[in-house]
Formats: sequence, C-alpha cells, structure tokens
Amino acid sequence: MVRPVATNIRALTLALAVAFLVASVGVAYWTMFASESLAQDPFNPRLIAASRDRPRGQIVDRNNAVLADSVPTPDGFKRTYKDRTLAQVTGYASFQFGLSGVEAAYADSLIGQDAADPASAWRARYLRERLPPGAVVLGIDEKVQKAAADALGGRRGAIVALDPRTGVILASVSVPTYDANEIVDATKQQTAWDQVTKAQDKPLVNRATSGLYPPGSTFKVVTGAAALESGFDPNQKLRVDDPYQADKSWGTYFVRSASHAHGDFSMPDGFRLSENIYFAQVGLRIGAAKLADYAKRFGVGGAPACDLAAAKGQLASEGSIDRPTLLADTSYGQGELLVSPLQMALIYATIANGGVMPTPHYATSVRDNQGHVIREIAPGPIGQVIRPDTARALTAMLVGAVEGPGAFAFGAKIPNVHVAGKTGTAENVPGSAPHGWFIGFAPAEQPTVVVAVIVENTPEGGVTAAPLGAAVMRAALNK
Amino acid sequence: MRSRGAAPRAALHVGAVRGGSSGGGAPRTAGGGVPRRRTAELGLLVWVALLALAGFAAVVGAETSAFGPAVIVVPAIYLGLVLALHVFLVLRRFRGDQLLFPLAAALTAIGLVLVQRLASDLLLQQLSWALIAGGAFVATILIPRDLTTLARFKWTWAFLGLVLLVAPLLPGIGREINGAKIWVKIGPGSIEPWEAVKLLLVIFFAGYLEEYREVLAQAPRRIGRFPVPPIPYLLPIIAMWGMAMVVMVFEKDLGATLLFFGIFLAMLYLATGEAFYTLIGLALLLGGGFVAYHAFPHVAARVDIWIRPFADELRFGAGYQLVQGLFALGNGGLIGAGLGNGLPERIPVVWSDFVFDAFAEETGFLGAAALLAVYLLFVYRGMLIALRAPTTFLQLLAAGLSFIVALQTLVIVGGNARLIPLTGITLPFVAYGGSSLVTNWMLVALLMRVSDASARIRGT
Repeated sequence: MVRPVATNIRALTLALAVAFLVASVGVAYWTMFASESLAQDPFNPRLIAASRDRPRGQIVDRNNAVLADSVPTPDGFKRTYKDRTLAQVTGYASFQFGLSGVEAAYADSLIGQDAADPASAWRARYLRERLPPGAVVLGIDEKVQKAAADALGGRRGAIVALDPRTGVILASVSVPTYDANEIVDATKQQTAWDQVTKAQDKPLVNRATSGLYPPGSTFKVVTGAAALESGFDPNQKLRVDDPYQADKSWGTYFVRSASHAHGDFSMPDGFRLSENIYFAQVGLRIGAAKLADYAKRFGVGGAPACDLAAAKGQLASEGSIDRPTLLADTSYGQGELLVSPLQMALIYATIANGGVMPTPHYATSVRDNQGHVIREIAPGPIGQVIRPDTARALTAMLVGAVEGPGAFAFGAKIPNVHVAGKTGTAENVPGSAPHGWFIGFAPAEQPTVVVAVIVENTPEGGVTAAPLGAAVMRAALNK
Repeated sequence: MRSRGAAPRAALHVGAVRGGSSGGGAPRTAGGGVPRRRTAELGLLVWVALLALAGFAAVVGAETSAFGPAVIVVPAIYLGLVLALHVFLVLRRFRGDQLLFPLAAALTAIGLVLVQRLASDLLLQQLSWALIAGGAFVATILIPRDLTTLARFKWTWAFLGLVLLVAPLLPGIGREINGAKIWVKIGPGSIEPWEAVKLLLVIFFAGYLEEYREVLAQAPRRIGRFPVPPIPYLLPIIAMWGMAMVVMVFEKDLGATLLFFGIFLAMLYLATGEAFYTLIGLALLLGGGFVAYHAFPHVAARVDIWIRPFADELRFGAGYQLVQGLFALGNGGLIGAGLGNGLPERIPVVWSDFVFDAFAEETGFLGAAALLAVYLLFVYRGMLIALRAPTTFLQLLAAGLSFIVALQTLVIVGGNARLIPLTGITLPFVAYGGSSLVTNWMLVALLMRVSDASARIRGT
C-alpha cells in the first residue's frame, strides 16, 4: 500500500515550516544579537556615514591643537588631518576603506555616542538622534612630538615617548608615513590607497605599537631583573672570553662579544659595555623557567593593553625556551624574541616607576560639544612587576650605561640631568644592517619621560639611536 | 497498472465539471450569469493598497530619491492593475482561493517600494514587468481549459524545459552576466529562461510521478530496510535532473542547480513517501558539493566567502557584498531604521541579490519576520490547495509549485543571513527582475486554478 500523497504533503509542509523558523532565528541573530559587534566594525560604512552629513568630532592634542577636524564642503563634511607625523596615530575615517587609529578606537565618541553616555547611544540607535560630537583629547605633546619627528628625520623606524607614572603617550612617530588627507579625498583615494597598501615599507603600520623587532641588548634589563630577584649577586665577577660556549655540546655555536672582550665582568660592567657573553652566562645560571617567567611578567610575548591596536610579540617561536643555546641568545636579546617599541618602552617605564607597570594610552579624555569632559581616560597601572629595590638597582646600572666610562650609550647624555638608558644593536635578517635601539628615561631620580627609539637597518646600531633619544627627552624635560 | 487507470478517470471527472459550469471559458455564460463575489480577497486588497501607499510615502518622505511623477503614477497604476485582476476573477466567476492573490500582490507591492527605495531608475521597468506578469496571470487563468491536459503533454514540457535550459549556452542568443550564463537576449533586454524551466519541471514531474509513483514506491526488492527502486522507471526522471545539473554546471549558476535538485527530491518524496530517496538525494548533494568545491573555483569561492566573509582578503574583495549585507542586517535591530533611513545602498546589486537584507535593515527583525510569515502563509495556503486537490496529478502539481516558492525564499534568505552559501536566486515577487516576476505570477495562477477545480468538484 502506497502512502497517500496527502500524508507526504503534510510532512513536507511541516519540514518547510521548521526551515522557516530556523531562517527567522538566523535573521534574529544578525539583526539583534550580533548587532552591537557589527555596528562597531571599523569597516561598517554606517559609522562613517554618520559623519558625512554632520561633523565628526575633533581629535586634539594636550594643548588643544587640532589634529583632525571636519570641515564643511558642498558635498558634506570632509575630514582633514593636520599632522603628518601622527598619521598612523590619528588614522583615517574613509567612506571607502573604513577606519584606523584613533578614528577607529574612538569611533563612537567621535560621532557623539561615547560609551560613558549610554543614553546617547540609545538615542542614536532607536531615535536616530545624535548630539553634535565633542572631541577626543590625546596626551600627545606637540613639542615632544616635533622633537621626535625631527630626530628621526627620514630614517625608517619609530620613536615613542611616554610618562612612566601614568602611561600617557607624549610622542609617537613612525616612518615612513602617509597623507591621510588623500585617503579621505574622493578624487585621490583610490590611487593613494593602492600606493600605501602596496608599498614595501608599509607606511600604514604604526611601527611604535605594531612594528615587531628583535630587542637586542635593550632586553638585558629583563635578564638583569630576573637575576637580581633570584638572589644573584650583581657584583660577582663572571669571566668573559670571546667567543663563548657553555660546553662542547654547542658544537660550532658561539656567543660573540661585540667588543671581543676578555676579562672579568660584574653586572654594572655588563650593562655599561653591553657584554653579551656576561648576560648569556647569567641567563644560563638562572635558567629558562626564571627568564621566561620575568619576560612574561614584563609582557613579552603578549600585546600591550593600549587603547590603539598594538601587536603581540613573541618570546620564542615555539612558545618556550627549549634549548640552552636559545636560552643564552634570549638572555642578551636575540634568539627568537620579537617586541614592539611600545612594549620595550613599557618595560623601561616599569623600572622608572619603581617596579609598577603603567597602562599605555594615547587618549586622555573625551569631551562633549560644550567642552565638558564626559570621560577621563586614566587606566590604572597594570601591576607591580618587580620589587622597588630591583628597579632602583637596575636604574643605577642604566645610568652607568649612559654616563659611565666607555659607556656605549654615551650619546644619550643630557647636561645637568641624570639619564638612565640602554642601547641595542639588533641583528635581524642575515645580510642586512642591524636595527639600532635606544631606550631610556630621565631624570633618573624621578623619571617623568621614557623614550624608545628604533632606527631600522643602521650600520652603527645603537650608537645612531642614542642621540635621538636624548633629543626627545630634552624636549620633554625642557632642557 | 492500477495507477494508469485511476488518473484518467479523475481527469475526465474534473473536465466534465469544469466544462459544464463555465461553458468553455467565456464568463457569465453559465450558472445564471451572476458574478461571484470574492469578499475576503477584496478586503485583503484594501490592506495591500494601504501597504503600497504607506511604503511609497515613507520612501519619498525620507528623501532617498528625487520626487517625481513616477512616485504617484506607479503605485496608482499598480493598484489599478491589482483591482482589474480582482474584477476579472469576479466576472469570470472564479471559485479559487482568495488568499493567494492578495499575498502575492502584497509581496509585489513591497518589491516595487524597494525598487523605488534602492534603484529608482529601474522603477518604471519593474512596473512594466508587473503589468506583463498580470497579463501572464490572466492568460494562465484562461488558456489551459483543463489543467489535467497538462499531464498528458508531460514529455512536451520536458523537451521544452531542456531547450530553454540549453538556450543560454547557444552562441548568438546567450549572454553572460556576472559570471553566470543564464540569460537569453530578447530584443533590447534579456530573460532568464530557467525561471520558466522550474515550472515546466514541476509539471513534468507531477505528470510522470502520478503515473509511476506506485511502481516507484512499492519497490519489488529491498536490501535490508532499503528499497531498490525499479531502475527503468526512475531513469527518465534521473535523466531529466542530470541534464539540468550538467547544464547548470556549464552555466555556473549554483542557485538554479540547488533549486532543481530541491524540486527533484521534494517531488520524489511527495509521490512515494520514501524518506530513503530523500536521504540518498541529500547525500548526493553533499557529495556533489564536495566534488564541486574542489573542482570548480567559482564554487570554492562561494564556500570560502560563506565560512569567513570577514577575513581581510575577502571583506574588500569577493566577500564584500555579503559583509555589507550583514552590516545592513545588524543595523536593523528590532524595529529597523525606518524605510529610507538605512544605508542598504552600500550593498552592491542590492535590488536583486540582497533585497531581503535591505528590507530587514529598514524594518528590523519584526519586518523581516513578518515578510517571512507572508511567504510561509503563501506556502501553507498552497499546500492546503494541494491537500484538497481532486487528483494525484493536481496534488503533486500544487505541492510542487508551493515548494518552489518556499525553497527559493529559504535559499536566498539563508544566503543573505549567512546560514548557507550565497546563491543568485531571487526573493520571489520582491526582488527586482522581470522573468522571475512573470513566472511567479503564472505559478500563482496555476495554484488558484487547482483550487478552483477542487471547489467546483466539491460544489462550494
């Protein structure tokens, strides 16, 4: 007996009804549950469209100098950007290519819907009413920013300066840069976009937060901190003979000394003369677990909790330091380490700040259209990373690394101010010149500025970078 | 061969009743010549008129398009058309379903409002298509004197369907648009013949399966629990489907392929009640999809976009359309941005591929759910007509036609909402496109004819 067709029709109808129910659930998901995250997507044209027929909020620096503004044109409001050296920081708000930088990170605030004012977001969402937007205030200090931009000049690299007590970023330069005005200009945008996205040296990348480099000798403070807190005596002399290997199992592998040293070194000597073999031996004594522990405490291998997008670094490519040669290399900042200038600045800020790591941030407040502050951006410190006495001891040795006899970082000296700092000459791709680092802070007794400088592919390495750091610190200290 | 005898008897019966009451298709020739009132239909059409007028007013009020005479003339002409069709049905003493026509008219009205909203330069074109669709509707109501004769010419329909399927591949008349070779040049415009093929396919399947369904369902042998179908009887139907598949592979249209396969499986199930055939079919679909994913780059691209549209290399490239569609959905919320207040025009080709997302952005989840409810009501009504149909052929025909509307809606809504890979199927009645609108109105007319036939037999 064949089933009557009617029975089959009923079964099929039921199946279709269930399918319609599933489709409605899917539509409910996108329209209501995923709605928030879709609205926040920097490439959602609705965020930017809100600023075509009304002004988008200003981005200003700490002295209220306007960095990004909306000006009326016959076709609606047009965004203009005033400081090319801050192109990657302020970013762009393009109808075509979406948002980046502060334009993306504070997209809500810039269209008058700051998170601190949920009523405005609610009004915008359900009543389609938006208040005229106010401004996002950055901690950028024009004077320091200019000093950093001038110091780096046309050299590829980055400089970031911040206040170690608060984490406020005072200056942020990334070279090469681009003109954000062209990215938002309807007539030039496609050409400009093709040019910057195809360029080999990636001008859109904010090298300060998202450039990843081997830290070289600037990383030795991490090894030093781990050793000091493991009870290692910094005054104990270790024998250095170039080239060095711990035992025959290393085969043809050696750690080399930059100065081809032969002699007995203490930790202050190691910092002052930037002796790789000394720190390799320290690392081997304290062990991989201890070094990895301190690297992680300092945030190496993670992404700094910054308000703008920041890249995640790397301690070792496999995630752990799994062999003695890698331990030795990591101890003096090579191996498989990758860090951003911002990450290194934070490590030195921790030392400058008595062992407490601050949270880095570009913006300091959001104002409404009346100029009233509706949100202070002052994230508390990340936490106590090392003991205050460890921080003091490291500071003293870093002052020696700048001011001591024969110090590598002599170029960072400032008259009448004690400067603590460390150069680095980071080997990268075989065959190309090393990257030059300088990271330091001043005044050493009560630091108010930390600066991290990287100059890509410079034969002189850290020697090139140190004077640039000095110029930025002088601007910050008015010296 | 019991089934062979049963069908013609029923057909004769219907034919007799049909012929006796309406006297050869001329109105007012029998039953006293009194026009038969269709009160429910008329009442619902008032709501359709309000919907159309409110929609046009909202879109014009939001100033998304320039105010011009078209904004007043188009809804007026359209409502005039709807009223004329209603009067035609009344005068003809038509006894078919009174819900389908207002539902289809409402969907077409939403379509016109959305074309005005999203691509106002296409509005007059879409109105012309609506007028042609109205003509096709009248023709389908008038011309086949007895629906059962459709079954007798099933092989003709199959042949015609194949010719139409192959037509876009022929040099000279075929056209390729957006990578799919599914168009045929006619005069200044072009049509998609497969829209008509889907109707022909359902008619053919209904006719063929009515004749052989018992043979197919009562398999003489079983391996374990599974029936082994008598291959010779299954062959024509598989051949028909297979040719559709092959052609679709060459014409690169995933949506049509999926639709044909769906119609094939659904009709087979409706006729035999064997879930086993459906399972085998679904397995074949997944297997075929897997092979196609690896063999055809255009299939692989569709699947990639579906799995990770937000990946950086896709969101500005091949996945741009879907991502913009999802942004539009996300902006919908519960009640929507309001007609004319969203930003759906950022979705490329929104008026034909993503009209559902555009509607959902501006009317919210409530609007989208209501739209789905209208489709479900349409399908439910169609299935009810199928249940009441007097012969197996008419039952299969009505159920198959309703299934087309259901599947098309589910496939495009699913694609728009990223539940399944996106295909080029259009949202029935609503999306911009002439071929689709005309065939869908013929589909409505056929369903109403089936309903009319049962009403006349029952004497209600």
